Amino acid sequence: MIIVKDLHKKYGAHEVLRGIDYRVEEQEVVCLIGPSGSGKSTFLRCLNGLETITSGEVSVNGHLVNDRKTDINTVRREVGMVFQHFNLFPHLRVIDNVMLAPTKVAGIGKEQARAKALELLDKVGLKDKTHAYPANLSGGQQQRVAIARALAMDPVVMLFDEPTSALDPEIVGEVLSVMQDLAREGMTMVVVTHEMGFAREVADRAVFMDGGVIVEQGDPAQVFGDPQHERTRNFLSKVL
Amino acid sequence: MLRSFGWQDLEALARGALWTIALCATSGVIGTLLGMVLGLAATSPSRIARWLATAYVYFIRGIPLLIIVFFAYFGIPLIFPELSLPAFATAVIALTVFTAAYMAEIFRGSINAVPKGQWEAAEALGLGYFKKLRYVVLPQAMRIVVPPAIGFLIALIKDSSLVTVIGFVELTHAGTIISNLTANPILTYSVVAVFYLVICYGVARLGRWYEQRSSADRKTITTEETPAALELEGV
Repeated sequence: MIIVKDLHKKYGAHEVLRGIDYRVEEQEVVCLIGPSGSGKSTFLRCLNGLETITSGEVSVNGHLVNDRKTDINTVRREVGMVFQHFNLFPHLRVIDNVMLAPTKVAGIGKEQARAKALELLDKVGLKDKTHAYPANLSGGQQQRVAIARALAMDPVVMLFDEPTSALDPEIVGEVLSVMQDLAREGMTMVVVTHEMGFAREVADRAVFMDGGVIVEQGDPAQVFGDPQHERTRNFLSKVL
Repeated sequence: MLRSFGWQDLEALARGALWTIALCATSGVIGTLLGMVLGLAATSPSRIARWLATAYVYFIRGIPLLIIVFFAYFGIPLIFPELSLPAFATAVIALTVFTAAYMAEIFRGSINAVPKGQWEAAEALGLGYFKKLRYVVLPQAMRIVVPPAIGFLIALIKDSSLVTVIGFVELTHAGTIISNLTANPILTYSVVAVFYLVICYGVARLGRWYEQRSSADRKTITTEETPAALELEGV
């Protein structure tokens, strides 16, 4: 589904990603963990072209993301993304946030898009907020709308960039449970997270990044239970 | 022959005020549209477009309006000798060129003030450049544009008195004529000032109304009315 080969990303002289090779298979849930500044968010943003890469190769669902000849918007239609700060469109009601891309990008009819949007809002438990504006929702509700908005394009992969980091602790659970449902339905997911409990329980694979490289990766039970590298042990001892 | 200030003078000043309104409305509308295009160019991914828009803004903003008016008055006949433009058209051209530069800066600033996360969210959904602007960025930028744009338009109304130098009879010019006829400059210019005040106050109120309306848009619609709205849609 996702194939990354020798990915490098530099900002000026500063090299954030220093050679990453990775594959994500269909229906796999991968959690990226690691200290801040380790490059995990940058890595995630390279997968849908929000960051241009310096060298290497990123391919998603058969599209070569870093190829100039690839229309990046066709890639992005197939890749949903959820941000740390939700980034809902404040001037649009919840329903219109969810319907925007299907109607304006995919060219789906209004009624069909509306039906789909209502179904998705029901799925994330927000059917009663359809006509609210984002400003009237709690952080957890906004993030669930953001998930519905991304799902409205029927993506084959979902990227989550620290989806619960901006939320109050008591609200984190409602977002994680929506994500867990998605994982159970077989969605391919790449999740940058600090929620170690989620990574341990839901992920098929955990990837520990530090200093712009993948230090260790594998079965979460193994990465969390018996980390092989000193840096991983160090990190986990601080966060667990 | 001197005469005292009378109704006919008030009427002449009112006519001048209408010309001032016509002048500012025309150049304000065209200038704002041009300014929007320039503001979009200044924030576009194209380096040439950005450079051209920025050059225009710096050039025009660096020249006094009076000089722009002179250029329009003396320059246009030099370039197009057959064209004999009425004074109104010359004045509109000068004020439009001026307005476009300032509006471009206001649009550029407002577009840049839309948070980066909004652009990224639109991009991540696969919206291309123009769709992203149209459905996500510009609706939000418009709310930011209004207060400084209104401020600029109020300044423009007063600055438009400069076109009096090319013989166009707007409010200030009408005032000068009547002041000479009546030898009562204090009264005449007081009336002129009151006309400007009323026009500017009107524009300021219009701006307030727009701001309140667009913020009311978001606030009055709460989740309370959701069940009813949903019923209407047969959910």
